[in-house]
Amino acid sequence: MTVKGCEPFLQAYDIDVNNGDTILDALHKIKDVQDGTLSFRRSCRSAICGSCAVNINGAPKLACKTQILPEFEKHGRLTIEPLSNFPVIKDLVVDFDSFWEKVHKIEPYLTPKESSAKTKDKDGFWIIKKQDALKIDDVSNCIFCGSCYSACNTMAVDNQFIGPAALAKVWRFAGDVREGNNKKRLAKVSEDHGIWSCSRCVECTQVCPKDVKPLIAIEDTRAKAIKAGIKDNAGVRHVESMVDSVKRTGLLDEATMTVKTLGFMRSLGIIPLGLKMEFHGKMPLPNLFKSIKGIEEVKKIYEEVEKKGSRVKAGTHPKDGWGS
Amino acid sequence: MKYAYYPGCASQTITKEYDSTTKKVCKILGIELLEMTDANCCGAGLITDYNYELSITLNARIFAIAEKMGLDIMTICSTCLMIMSRANKELKEFPKLLKKVNKTLEKAGLHYSGNVKVTHFLWTLSQDYGLDKLKAMVKKPLKDMKIAPYYGCHILRPSNALGFDDPEKPVSLERLIETLGGDAMPNEGKTRCCGFQIVLVTQETAVDMIGNRLKEAKDAGGKCMVSPCPLCHINLDSYQREAEKKTHQKFEMPVFHLSQIVGLALGMSIDELELGRHLVSPENAITTVVGD
Repeated sequence: MTVKGCEPFLQAYDIDVNNGDTILDALHKIKDVQDGTLSFRRSCRSAICGSCAVNINGAPKLACKTQILPEFEKHGRLTIEPLSNFPVIKDLVVDFDSFWEKVHKIEPYLTPKESSAKTKDKDGFWIIKKQDALKIDDVSNCIFCGSCYSACNTMAVDNQFIGPAALAKVWRFAGDVREGNNKKRLAKVSEDHGIWSCSRCVECTQVCPKDVKPLIAIEDTRAKAIKAGIKDNAGVRHVESMVDSVKRTGLLDEATMTVKTLGFMRSLGIIPLGLKMEFHGKMPLPNLFKSIKGIEEVKKIYEEVEKKGSRVKAGTHPKDGWGS
Repeated sequence: MKYAYYPGCASQTITKEYDSTTKKVCKILGIELLEMTDANCCGAGLITDYNYELSITLNARIFAIAEKMGLDIMTICSTCLMIMSRANKELKEFPKLLKKVNKTLEKAGLHYSGNVKVTHFLWTLSQDYGLDKLKAMVKKPLKDMKIAPYYGCHILRPSNALGFDDPEKPVSLERLIETLGGDAMPNEGKTRCCGFQIVLVTQETAVDMIGNRLKEAKDAGGKCMVSPCPLCHINLDSYQREAEKKTHQKFEMPVFHLSQIVGLALGMSIDELELGRHLVSPENAITTVVGD
């Protein structure tokens, strides 16, 4: 509970529960019968409006989509708290202002390019191929409930991070075949606190109640940004040094990666750490000569995939119709 | 019990001690490891950020090698585990994708039929080897060792590709610690991120994460931590001084590799456990087991 002027505290309530009751049912029961001051957001009761996300036993979930008894059986308790990484207004109601600011910042609307004869049907409408629609299918399902934002590990220590929900929305437009503003869009999210600040903790993708998979959207957006030539940042240097290292040796060459990612001058800054590691025999040395025996097979794979280049676009996933 | 053993790149260089102690522990337990010396790097997700098809095909090459060996893969790295499990799941679920990947593999003289499983050393011990059998092998119980389990991310999430522990309530590390006679100190940070993937990109952010994980372990009464992932180990151990400087706290938190706490309980010596390779000395944490 959060009451103005008080330190936040946990309040216990006893209620009778029926099989199949949801957390939202319980919150309603408490508000109706025991404590009319209890504040929480809710609207649709069918997991589509995204209003009722709360932390349930530590994990962000939709109160209307989560049944009480299985939760209780799993954890032996039922602790309901406001979402993390948001300022609390009262009880379970949190302040979404910065969340929405970030969503607006990525310009969440299509800026269509001119359609060509190839992309138009006889009435002048864009023809979207099934595989192109599938690329943005998952991210189109976002209901802005804030669960991913609450679970995000980068957000917990960097409140300027744009966050998984807004980044998934970036791919909604960057991955749309009609989008005509991608260079600018991708350059903007390649700046600090953007796509390259994600630590790949997979929390967003794990907790999303609509299976939006923000992490995959971030991976797709990163690949597209690199393809668009937006490379002047440490994130891209990190990726490219890995791609080069595996091509050259089959393995990750940690030492070269460090120097390439940080650049020469910033690498000097970690010499003290390097020396400490060297003292413990941990300093990685550049893999100048060592490579795996089957390096020719690895090079062949690179050659074949890169040859196809134009056919396999950034953001190509099984969901694009490679499967089924 | 026999596996195609995939140590991962980190444990061939920076965390060599994790690789060598795993081999020693497995030898004592009778788990046979055939090292995949010709396997390539899994890409750690960074190659996925560059080109999805390249990433999945490179992973398929690893599976093709294991399939030829007729063995399932066991790794000691959580990130390798997650990247390989994700790729393997997709290759098994989408026949068209497998066919396409095989077209490329065949140009390199390889083929993958989709019959390999990927597992982690922690899962092997917990399930395939079994904790009862492990308990019977314990020579020096980890008496009074207060160990904070640290899972990190990639051994838990995404659970649809991994699926061993429940990411909301993992138990395998606690059970392992208890099997070895130690005290598992549950802590709220055990499933949170160490920031390894961004430590070279946005170091400040990563160091904050490291500081939080160490603090949570310490606040829960942990005198040391155990990690099933060499990458988490690098951050929590090698960058611990940086985290102390940034957060103005003293942690003195030794971090063990999974293999080291098992080896300690099996009676391996400090030299054999290669504890001297850690930046934060673990010697004080083990005095209740080996004496001063």
